[in-house]
Amino acid sequence: MSAGRPARWTRNQKLAAGAVALGLGALLIGDPGDGGRVTLDARELAALVEGEVDHVTPDELADWIVAGRQDFRLVDLRAEADYAAYHVPGAERIPITGLEDAELARNEKIVLYSQEGIHSAQAWFLLKARRYPAVYILLGGLAQWQEQVLYPVRPEAGAGAEERAAFERAAARAASFGGAARAAAAGLAPAVPALVPPPITAPGVAPTAPPPAGSPVKKKKKEGC
Amino acid sequence: MNAPLFRFGLFGDEFSLVVAFLIGIGFGFFLERAGFGSARKLTDQFYLKDMAVFRVMFTAIVTAMLGLFYLGWLGWVDLSLVYVSPTFLWPQVAGGLLLGVGFVVGGYCPGTSLVALATGKLDALAFVAGIFAGIFAIGEAWPAISGFAESSALGRLTLPEVLHLPAGLVVLLVVLMAVGGFWGAAALERRFAGRGAGEGS
Amino acid sequence: MSSLSQPARRGPAPYTNPYLAGIGLGLVLLASFVVMGRGLGASGAFSSACAVAVDALAPAHAQANPFWKEYLESGVGHPLKEWLVFEVLGVLAGGFLSGLLAGRVRRTVEKGPRISTGGRFAFAFVGGALMGIGAKLGRGCTSGQALTGGALLSAGGWAFMLMVFAGGYGAAWFLRRQWQ
Repeated sequence: MSAGRPARWTRNQKLAAGAVALGLGALLIGDPGDGGRVTLDARELAALVEGEVDHVTPDELADWIVAGRQDFRLVDLRAEADYAAYHVPGAERIPITGLEDAELARNEKIVLYSQEGIHSAQAWFLLKARRYPAVYILLGGLAQWQEQVLYPVRPEAGAGAEERAAFERAAARAASFGGAARAAAAGLAPAVPALVPPPITAPGVAPTAPPPAGSPVKKKKKEGC
Repeated sequence: MNAPLFRFGLFGDEFSLVVAFLIGIGFGFFLERAGFGSARKLTDQFYLKDMAVFRVMFTAIVTAMLGLFYLGWLGWVDLSLVYVSPTFLWPQVAGGLLLGVGFVVGGYCPGTSLVALATGKLDALAFVAGIFAGIFAIGEAWPAISGFAESSALGRLTLPEVLHLPAGLVVLLVVLMAVGGFWGAAALERRFAGRGAGEGS
Repeated sequence: MSSLSQPARRGPAPYTNPYLAGIGLGLVLLASFVVMGRGLGASGAFSSACAVAVDALAPAHAQANPFWKEYLESGVGHPLKEWLVFEVLGVLAGGFLSGLLAGRVRRTVEKGPRISTGGRFAFAFVGGALMGIGAKLGRGCTSGQALTGGALLSAGGWAFMLMVFAGGYGAAWFLRRQWQ
């Protein structure tokens, strides 16, 4: 320690003072984590919505699942009973109030769905406000999933070859999810009575088993020292 | 900013090995700069003659700690994605004790022994051979001692959680402890080394 | 052989101020947090190498032992293509570079005036062995647990660090002949 009182501080003293100042700053900050409050960039979020980069279609999601992709997390926002009756293979149930505590990793793609898509849109907003970079809504929700993926509509008799080929693919995919193709009813639009989702035991998804819901880190990484 | 960069997929596993090498260079460089390639300098710490080990270690801890705290606060780093090694209390207490004894017996720690090796110290070679022997011994014994070795597993546990204090307060306490320690270290050096502590505060 | 206790008056450069070196080290550690989301380490690389050696000599035995198995299963395709192994190679390179720039690269034996070279080697080996055991129990060494864990305010890291200093100071008196 310097004897007497020199007019200028030594370098070490300046470093020490700087560190203490930063420490005091840390004290004032308290908790470097967010603590529930959010700041939004409204323009940025609006741009995402308009740019239509905020959603995936049931068609896309179905292809991801069939391809065995493991790089996303599928979240079902509905009630427990609904989830138990049917859920998209690989989905895990997290109610909207549980999203904060679920501590989803920010470096993962998160796909949200609800029955019609309203809750998933709201959950999207909450997660984007918490600066999750890759969040997507399932467009149309489970209702659209049923119509497009589980029960694709057979094309009209005069449909072109391409349309029929697409339908064949969709029908095969539907079968793997436990659904089936259905005929268009005569009249204006295919009848949509209460479509019953297939029983939960059905989804035998080619080529592998559905990705297990849960731990985001799929492979064990040794991070010791 | 999406950081830690690796966690957000900026680059893959292969490139992370390149990153590891580069970071290692920085690590080894500064260890040698501080003189930690010398067993005598390192062990002088434990004879209160040269407190460089304490100074370097705690300055590094404070620097990284403050840096991470502020970057986390600014939202530039997602702190939840920074890996914190899980706590195994009693094995770590025992391990630390053994390491401390080994430090004075052997003159190095694993990191510094590498720096010493790189600068030509032959005793570091014996030390490194010893490390392998020790790891082999405990690796073979691990199934037998795993009852203890894996006990008191407390998971990812930080001091703020243990002390029930806000992180910022703990940060300040660490800074104050370090600065106070540096001042005390200089006093100890003057007493035991009998030379002016030109490096003291 | 020679015992090098103080840097020669002409030749090796004086050591860097410990606070500055500490800041440099801290920034390297911080960079590791920001880029990789993990800290530094050293002992893990030794473990990986040891596991590979055991596996080469007795593969069935290595696979049966969960300690070795864990190291053998990590890495990018091969246990030696592990983050810590590459980091340790970097430490060797960085240490050499700094030593070269400072004129401190020299084949020598570091020891105190009152012990023989043979004695020093024996102690170095035993010390290293104690370190190897301690580092595995402690889930790291001074780099991984004390430095990294310290900066992250890990409870285990701080407990470990305290005990390292305790052990060192406790043993110092008994080993003064080797160093002083």
